[in-house]
Amino acid sequence: MKALLLSLLAGGILVSAAGARPLATPGVSSSEIRIGSSVPLSGEAAIAGNVARGIDAYFKYVNAKGGVFGRKLKFTYLDDGYDPGRAVNNTIRLVQQEQVFAMFSSLGTSNNLAVRKLLNDAKVPQLFVSSGATTFGRDGKKYPWTIGYIPPYSEEGAIYGQYVVKKIKKPKIAVLYQDDDYGRDLYAGLRRGLGKKVGAIVSKVAYDPTSADVQPQVTQLKASKANVLMIFAFGKFSLQAFNAVSRLGWKPQIFVNDVSSASALMAIVPQKAANGAISIVFGKDPAAPAWRKDKGIRLSQSILRQYGTDIGPRDLQDGYYTAGMATAYTLVDALKKAGKNLTRDGIMRAATHLNEKGNPFVLPGIVVRTTPTSRFPLTQVKLQRWSAKAWHPFGKLLSAKPR
Amino acid sequence: MRLRLALELLSLFALAVLIAVVPRFVSSFTAYEIATVGMYFIALLGLSILTGYSGQISLGHGAFMAIGGYTTAVLSVDGIYGHQIRDVWTIPIAGVVAGVAGLLVGIPALRLSGLYLALITFGLAVAFRQIPLKFDHFLGGTSGKVLSLLTTPFGLSAAPNHWIYYLTWGIAFVLLVVAWLFVRGKPGRTLKAIRDSEIAAVSSGISLARYKTLAFALSAFYAGVAGSLYAIARGFMNPDVFPVVLSVYLVAALALGGVDSFLGLILGASAIYVLINRSADVTHWLDHLPAVNLDPQRPGMPDVIFGAVLIVVLILLPTGVGGALRRLFGPLTTRLYSKS
Amino acid sequence: MLIAAFTWTEFAQQLAAGIRQGAVFAGLALALVIIYRSTRAINFAQGEMATFTTFVCWSLMNHGLSFWAAFPIVLVIAFAGGVAVERTIIRPVENGPVITIVIVTLGLALLLNGLMSVIWGGGNRPFDGPFSTRTIDVGGVPISLQDVGIVVVSFVLVALLAVFFRFTKLGLALRAAALNRDSSELVGVRVGWMRAFGWGLAAVLGAVAGMMVAPILFLDPNMMQTILIYAFAAAVLGGLDSPVGAVVGGLLLGVAITLLGRYVGFVGEELKLPAALLLILLVLVVKPNGLFGRVAVRRV
Repeated sequence: MKALLLSLLAGGILVSAAGARPLATPGVSSSEIRIGSSVPLSGEAAIAGNVARGIDAYFKYVNAKGGVFGRKLKFTYLDDGYDPGRAVNNTIRLVQQEQVFAMFSSLGTSNNLAVRKLLNDAKVPQLFVSSGATTFGRDGKKYPWTIGYIPPYSEEGAIYGQYVVKKIKKPKIAVLYQDDDYGRDLYAGLRRGLGKKVGAIVSKVAYDPTSADVQPQVTQLKASKANVLMIFAFGKFSLQAFNAVSRLGWKPQIFVNDVSSASALMAIVPQKAANGAISIVFGKDPAAPAWRKDKGIRLSQSILRQYGTDIGPRDLQDGYYTAGMATAYTLVDALKKAGKNLTRDGIMRAATHLNEKGNPFVLPGIVVRTTPTSRFPLTQVKLQRWSAKAWHPFGKLLSAKPR
Repeated sequence: MRLRLALELLSLFALAVLIAVVPRFVSSFTAYEIATVGMYFIALLGLSILTGYSGQISLGHGAFMAIGGYTTAVLSVDGIYGHQIRDVWTIPIAGVVAGVAGLLVGIPALRLSGLYLALITFGLAVAFRQIPLKFDHFLGGTSGKVLSLLTTPFGLSAAPNHWIYYLTWGIAFVLLVVAWLFVRGKPGRTLKAIRDSEIAAVSSGISLARYKTLAFALSAFYAGVAGSLYAIARGFMNPDVFPVVLSVYLVAALALGGVDSFLGLILGASAIYVLINRSADVTHWLDHLPAVNLDPQRPGMPDVIFGAVLIVVLILLPTGVGGALRRLFGPLTTRLYSKS
Repeated sequence: MLIAAFTWTEFAQQLAAGIRQGAVFAGLALALVIIYRSTRAINFAQGEMATFTTFVCWSLMNHGLSFWAAFPIVLVIAFAGGVAVERTIIRPVENGPVITIVIVTLGLALLLNGLMSVIWGGGNRPFDGPFSTRTIDVGGVPISLQDVGIVVVSFVLVALLAVFFRFTKLGLALRAAALNRDSSELVGVRVGWMRAFGWGLAAVLGAVAGMMVAPILFLDPNMMQTILIYAFAAAVLGGLDSPVGAVVGGLLLGVAITLLGRYVGFVGEELKLPAALLLILLVLVVKPNGLFGRVAVRRV
């Protein structure tokens, strides 16, 4: 028995010596660059999957104009249903079977954390992840192949804290947050932003992302008699929170975090609870009246119409598509900077030395800037307030850059 | 009898040869995929001992796989007193931990009839995922635990994918032989006696309790080993790596593929692999058929087909595919009818 | 330590939520009991059947019907569906081993879950329930109208069923067929169709449970999965063959789980489900017939 097992093992080792040989730079040929992504196309976060569709349409637009140095961008995105285990499976497959040049804009904090080590160990770029967890921008030394994109959650939380301190008299804050790195990042940032007034937090309750319903948590928060509610929740939980607030007859000043603030979602919660809610924004929201006639939005809509699949009138107002295009614009920018002789080292160098001023899909005035130690491409946001079924940005551009 | 023995030995040998030779003909990534099939095969093997030979239903074997996966994750990431344990050595430990859990479940299971056992074990599969969420400092919650990248140990020069392939199928082969000996030997014959008539077995002095709980523990051990391998191969573990539906697929694959033939088990394991890891591809492939227009945002088709196949097969072939379902249901027929 | 201290207002609200949850559990548990009584099997597809019919309701509302216009249509469809399921896929295996029936219902659950995903997509979507989310003041405590509505509807349904089973000929025939097949056949009861009727009724109960709970949980294919486990626990607690037990068990479980989750720190939100599971185990070991049941569960 032992002999059998050992001989199997030995035979296997001999046989595996005739393995596949890797390409010079995997995923790059004279005609194409292969890019991979793992995003939720089904399940509760499916609406965020439109980010990938926006990227896909934008890449097709770029390809129609000749691509990048003559290479067409081939974008393969797989569905992970917002499940980190599936994201791992998808990533392994994209890297080993599809042999992509880089992973790009995969969505989800837990998802990206789950694959970060394996991508860095294999020296595969993990570019512009669709998550604001601070670690993606801060830990470049430990994970040199990883870089974030959207404004870090910790800074977002801090901005809300600073606003409360400045504008709300006698604040008593209740916090509902998702019990993972994403929720905890926001909460830690809030505490920091409150500074000396951190005692204003009278109640905090976490929920598990696979809970059925957050009404019990909101009920508990209401009992603290808070007049401010932070909703650091994602997707349906954010909707349930608004519903619960309305059902319980509670009227706090609500702050809702950026990734749950899509106009489409805000429009379907009880408006009594939604009116007056505050969030931050970095991109141009096609549903906001401010950008209806904007050139960048017009461009994104025409790209969608021409290169998107199954685009209906609702999609043209969907901010997730535009967010995807903003990210795609930055990637193409970085690819161009990396030069004709495209290597994985080269793209990382380009991505960590960005100084991009012309991104048509983000707020005017935003500069997409990175350095190898500060891997936060987007660090400027504005506050916005919801009323009359739309978001209205106000105030100046604020800094969301971690110090 | 002799002929049957000879045939069984021959097929075992053929399997061994096949295992040794396959990686030569497939890509590195495919070897990795076949390794994953092997992990489901090991779990099915364990379940077949439990359900086929001792007649107890478990709709919760995914939970035992998860126990194995978590044991490996915690030991290799956090270690004991800070001392990280190499992933390979965690495999037997994971199996034992899962086996102990199986023992703990097997004891109350003695007092439950098939239906209630199915219910409890199903509840176990659903409720188990809450444990890592509760003890998230230790077990990582939904973010889970990230293990080290799969590498080839002991200075061997195989590619990591080939290493995991041989590791998995080597273990699978050994466990298969163990199961085979178990079934043919005294424990197996005892279980068959229990299965055919509990009353007669008890009156001839057989300790029901001991054998049935042993079967539970053994099957859980197998599942734990499979779970451990799965976690090592992916470098990641969280409550959804072994979802509830996997426990259902395991029992369904057993019902379809049969308890006796290891070919049936391999086919069953392949089906599970496709359903869990390659579901999107099935949808994509089906989409190519004329008059079929499937939206990737609506990925349920493989489950529809599998569910339909399961129903149809059970209705049309109640005596089972390959005559094996008879073995599956036999033990329960006597038990449930003698009551009413 | 930052959790709000105990207040009577919050307690009342949590209690109300617990009763509402319990009403939903009771509905689904009752469905399970009806099927158990008629077929001696547990329908693992009960949750998916309920969600499926709720999706049908959603579709109808999407095409312009109001909730109360769609409601009776959905109930009829649910009933027909339940009958169809029993006649086509349960009948061929219902005299065989129970495990076959269980696996067939599991297959049905997989099929329905996948089908919902294919037809309507897997994401969750809001569901406009019949009750507004306004709150009414009950002794100083804001209680949601929705919670009240759900409890009232469930109560009415259970009462109607009780009347039906007790005082109508059909109800009597159903009970007879479940209790003693051969004798019933002798007196002319069409046992097969009685079984099918039972499945139809169970499907209706599930549909109502689904439509009540969808506005709160948001409609998606997996909506009823955890509720099904709680329903199992409630049915076992009450006694698998006792309709009264299902209702009582459901209410007790709903309140207990909600209060445990809120006021016992160790249980919290995460361990509610394992707590329910532990309860099933405890009941099966200590009092296998549950609170009101009569059939022996133990074996040799």
